[in-house]
Amino acid sequence: MTSPSQRMSELIGLQQQFAAVGYIADRSLAAALLLMTDLGRQLLLVGDAGVGKTEVAKALAQVRSARLIRLQCYEGLDAHAAMYEWNYQRQLLAIKLLEQDERSVAAKEQDIFSERYLLKRPLLDAITCATPPVLLIDEVDRADEAFEAYLLELLSDFQMSIPELGTVTATSVPAVVVTSNGMRELSDALRRRCLYQYVEYPSFDKELAIIEAKMPEVGGSLARQTVQFVQSVRRLDLRKKPGIAETLDWAAALLRLGIAELDRESPERIVESLAALIKTREDRAGLTREVVARIAQAC
Amino acid sequence: MLSCAAVADPAAALRSRLTGFVGFLRVNRFGVGGGDALAVLETAERVGVFDRDVMRWSLQALLCVRCDEWQRFDRLFDAYFLPPNRRRSWDALPNEREPDLRLADAVPEDGGDASKTPGADRDVDDQGAQDERHGASREESQVPADFRTLDRGEDLVDIAALMRRFARRLKRIALRREVRSRRGRRLDLPGTIRRSVESGGTPIRVAWKNRRRIRPRLVLLLDVSRSMSAYSVFFLRLARALTAELSDVHCFVFHTRIVSVTDALADTDPKRAQDRLHILSEGWAGGTRIGESLDAFNRIHAPRLVHSRTAVIVVSDGYDSGEPERLAAALGAIARRARRVVWLNPLAGSPGFTPTARGMRAALPHLDLFASGADLASIERALPDIVAALS
Repeated sequence: MTSPSQRMSELIGLQQQFAAVGYIADRSLAAALLLMTDLGRQLLLVGDAGVGKTEVAKALAQVRSARLIRLQCYEGLDAHAAMYEWNYQRQLLAIKLLEQDERSVAAKEQDIFSERYLLKRPLLDAITCATPPVLLIDEVDRADEAFEAYLLELLSDFQMSIPELGTVTATSVPAVVVTSNGMRELSDALRRRCLYQYVEYPSFDKELAIIEAKMPEVGGSLARQTVQFVQSVRRLDLRKKPGIAETLDWAAALLRLGIAELDRESPERIVESLAALIKTREDRAGLTREVVARIAQAC
Repeated sequence: MLSCAAVADPAAALRSRLTGFVGFLRVNRFGVGGGDALAVLETAERVGVFDRDVMRWSLQALLCVRCDEWQRFDRLFDAYFLPPNRRRSWDALPNEREPDLRLADAVPEDGGDASKTPGADRDVDDQGAQDERHGASREESQVPADFRTLDRGEDLVDIAALMRRFARRLKRIALRREVRSRRGRRLDLPGTIRRSVESGGTPIRVAWKNRRRIRPRLVLLLDVSRSMSAYSVFFLRLARALTAELSDVHCFVFHTRIVSVTDALADTDPKRAQDRLHILSEGWAGGTRIGESLDAFNRIHAPRLVHSRTAVIVVSDGYDSGEPERLAAALGAIARRARRVVWLNPLAGSPGFTPTARGMRAALPHLDLFASGADLASIERALPDIVAALS
């Protein structure tokens, strides 16, 4: 059994590594990431859009200096688009060229269905890498249940069967990060296989740290005011709450507009800059000059 | 942290204490399984049991699979692992296992006492029910197959059968997105070329594309206000039967606010489903604020739930104590987002019914289908229309 301080220091070490690549990780997330390696499980990140789920995988790839392979799920995604396809055009060309060839038909066929003509899609790509990559399966809730079942099979034994080639076994087991926006209930089997993290909107301190890490050019007081403002806006009854990316965009917009202090600035100018933060018409209409002035004064 | 480790064999005691936590979570409605106990031991092995926070975060990632579990985990962890004098949060835990008897008669389960059913004693209650339904015509309550008089057991079987038929019909609804199929309407060119490889480039076997069949997602919004009290139990039973048939059904009840009951309905243990509904349906059979409830639905649930193949089915009599403009705006927003909006009104089946309620009039322009649904027979009559409206 590891001593208590050892695990905790591992955890803090991992947090620092993440901070070095610009991602501020909670301790609970760091604990889950460590456990992911220990137990050989996948990580399922659930939360609203814009809370930084995808970034976890990107940062993880950077920390491990591994390749990031991304599979963006969408409605109607089928196994072929996600795993492999044969390069028909090249195969046909090869058939024509092989017509003059003296070899036996079986040999020709073997040649045509060899790896040279195989187009690797993300899933096959991920299990045939020389070094373990990070496989990001983004927004798995957009794909349908059938695909989820397929994915589950792959994740449980990391092999894939290609009828013409035989079974491909993983040369390296990727670190899998699955994200979901909760559009659809995921199957229990997938949930059971994964370690779970519910990602919430960042706290004040965390968001401030993110701004400081990503945009050091924003000064300390403006950064604090920006975060304060965004945190207040999130507490409003909005249709679409601003995510972390929006906060960063808005901070950049404020810099560009030369706004240095929110509470001294005229509300009109702040309202103008809000296009970077508020993305729906109803929410824009709800954030009137008076509301903005009130929030900015409190910053 | 491990308060009872001082037994003869400390290692065994530690193991049973750790694995006991899985059982404790299961009792608290976590979806944990047998394999999790082993995983907990392995985690403890890796992580070490002496740092409470590291253990907490690790087990939280390991054992939670849903947002609500994630949020309840901390309290349960404290309750189980902290010594009793430090369990500050334990007392604050709501006693989730205790059924709330106050609402026991309003729940869709068999085996209940028939006299508890609202309006079961029809002759006596008829007048009262009439008053509550604000001018529903007298004939309406004379319909012989009104669900209130049905035996509960038979009723359930019929409902389940009807919902199974409904689910099967929904299956036939096809979407525009196409998939490869053996025969079809359109030629699949990449597929044909791919098949021609085996015959040396001559397309002998042709591949086809066909429209893919995907059931639409269903979102049910059930009015459980007082004016609907005679029907809400029936519709909840319908919803529960439907949840058992289809995987992509989401159910909400509303009166003055809106609550998701999807998980409660899907609970496999009927008694527990009943208990959970009780807790959720606080203020049941109160006034109605349809507009506000739909607004809340739009704000909180619609963004992640309603997409272009979602059918929203509202069950309400349209008696709204809020402003009709608000209802119209909210329903319009749903209609723009969803594939179809269907409104079932229990009163609409009665002869001479006209949608005069202000709320109902405001809602009509946004609906794809307005149908009656007071009992099993009328739902069955409306079913072809509903399926047609959804396709």
